[in-house]
Amino acid sequence: MTQLAVDIRHLVKDFRSPLRGVKAFRAVDGVSIQIQAGEVYGLIGPNGSGKSTTMKALLGLVAPTSGSCSIYGKDSMKVDSRNDVGFLPENPYFYKHLTGAETLRFYGKLCDIRGKVLEARVDELLELVDLRDARDRRLGGYSKGMLQRIGLAQAMIQDPRLLILDEPTAGVDPIGSRQIRDLILKLRDQGKTVFLCSHLLEQVQEVCDHVGIIFQGKMVKEGRLEDLISLEDQTEIVLKDADEALVEEIRGLVERTGHASLVRTGRPRTTLERLFLQETQGNQPVKGGEK
Amino acid sequence: MAKEKTNRWLQPRRVAVLAMNTFTQLVRMKVFYFLMIFAIIALVAQFLDLPQYHGPEAVYTGELTLLKGWCMGVMKLFAVVFSITATALLLPKDVEDRTLYTILAKPVPRLDYLVGKLAGVLLLIFISLAVMDGIMTAVLAIRTDQLLEGQMFLAQSRGWTAEAIESMRAEISMQGPTWSLQAGVLSIFLLSAIVGAVSLLLSTFSTSTLFTIIVSFLCFLAGFFQADAAEFYRATAEAGTTTFGSLVMKAVALVFPNYQLFNVTDAAIQGLPVSGMAVLVLLGLTVFYVVLYTLLSWFVFSDKEF
Ligand SMILES: Nc1ncnc2c1ncn2[C@@H]1O[C@H](COP(=O)(O)OP(=O)(O)OP(=O)(O)O)[C@@H](O)[C@H]1O
Ligand SMILES: [Mg+2]
Repeated sequence: MTQLAVDIRHLVKDFRSPLRGVKAFRAVDGVSIQIQAGEVYGLIGPNGSGKSTTMKALLGLVAPTSGSCSIYGKDSMKVDSRNDVGFLPENPYFYKHLTGAETLRFYGKLCDIRGKVLEARVDELLELVDLRDARDRRLGGYSKGMLQRIGLAQAMIQDPRLLILDEPTAGVDPIGSRQIRDLILKLRDQGKTVFLCSHLLEQVQEVCDHVGIIFQGKMVKEGRLEDLISLEDQTEIVLKDADEALVEEIRGLVERTGHASLVRTGRPRTTLERLFLQETQGNQPVKGGEK
Repeated sequence: MAKEKTNRWLQPRRVAVLAMNTFTQLVRMKVFYFLMIFAIIALVAQFLDLPQYHGPEAVYTGELTLLKGWCMGVMKLFAVVFSITATALLLPKDVEDRTLYTILAKPVPRLDYLVGKLAGVLLLIFISLAVMDGIMTAVLAIRTDQLLEGQMFLAQSRGWTAEAIESMRAEISMQGPTWSLQAGVLSIFLLSAIVGAVSLLLSTFSTSTLFTIIVSFLCFLAGFFQADAAEFYRATAEAGTTTFGSLVMKAVALVFPNYQLFNVTDAAIQGLPVSGMAVLVLLGLTVFYVVLYTLLSWFVFSDKEF
């Protein structure tokens, strides 16, 4: 049997209120998540539903009230479980006094990478997250999206098998956002496991194999993305250069069969995101988001 | 990453990385430059105040004592203030900025993190004190030489005996740069180490930096006055009254080191010899308290949630 990358069992997390007598607040209520190695798992849910708390429990940053979390079979409360995991917290914030390259070096050394290997890795990651130009600038002067990118690079510094990304594309522009999406897909191709949460459902839909929907601390729906979103009883036909008469003919054809019905006709639209990418990349070919 | 790594506590390289990071963080803070420049100006100001001779009858070593007293005072103030504020600031800052998440999400035991922070602060204090000590020793050496020259000249012109001149020379050089003076500076460093460890402990459970700083200073004062107070209560206890106060004082004495033991600086300033034994005792005491407070901090910190 292959080992689970992430194994969260019946996780419950209560936050005690500092005021006595007030009932503890249950942020996560009996969540179980199993992620196979090599999967991309997306956790979605409204604000305050317990996504970040679940991730923190998985990293041992908060202790579960009950239940257990483990990474590659190692208990999350033990330091060793963190050997093979990279974490990007939401709204990451790093030491302002360090430059981009120094930041990556610092985290690399914490993972016991040194010397030439570390330097090569730092260069590679700065290239990957498109921060070459900012490598010697202090993080105090980084923008929100740049911080997010350096955070992503930091998470990948020791080339971990599992990446935990809390809203990886928050505050990143559409080009960067797409680069991050491509990066996640590339990681998946390399056999890495990714556990992410995001509010950009479109993106989650694009990259995730498995999705969990969490609401008020409880897992309300979970499964393979394919199974969750495909409308089994519908079929899509997209026509090109079809005139009104042809559409009418098809409508008539459908009606005549008796058991099927035409749900809608119209023009498919390009997404706003696609339009934005087209426009911005058209004017700035050097930036080259897509490789 | 096939090979399995186990992460033992207090891996020296990891602690060194954390300490160096704290060190650079502090050095790149403007507050540090400010304090350091202030301290150096204060030291150098003494040097600019050129010696005036009051004739042989005046206590001719007085100005050397004054110089040492001033310098040691500045160094002590710098070391203690910096130790408390820097330690009190760093930890809550990491928690607030959530930098801590990213550090603890790497295979870093929480103990290593705490020790690294404290070590970084102490490293900076050590280097600053060494710089200030260097300045002080140099100034003192020059001033001692000047004084010696002047007094020798005076004594010879008055036809003192060789013995009298020799004893005067000995007396003056005792006030110059000596090993006891260095022991005094070392004791300042040790004092700041304990104070920093107390501050670290407080910052692990306090919720505000201001609280940490204020309580750290109060603890510092408590440590200073506890010897006096203990003496006072022992006297009253011998008089037959066991007061609630004396019990409190006993508890306080257990928790707080007696900072008056660190007053070897006074001896150093007076030019009195400081025994190697006294330095060893201080060293032992410092190690004991720093380890104690760090373990207590760890105890609190290991259950902390962010
Ligand atoms: N340290 C804490 N102390 C008290 N309550 C907390 C703490 N951390 C989180 N909570 C509460 O737990 C709940 C879940 O928070 P969490 O950060 O996990 O939400 P989330 O799903 O990540 O939301 P978002 O989409 O806004 O990031 C929230 O109601 C929050 O108020
Ligand atoms: Mg969140």
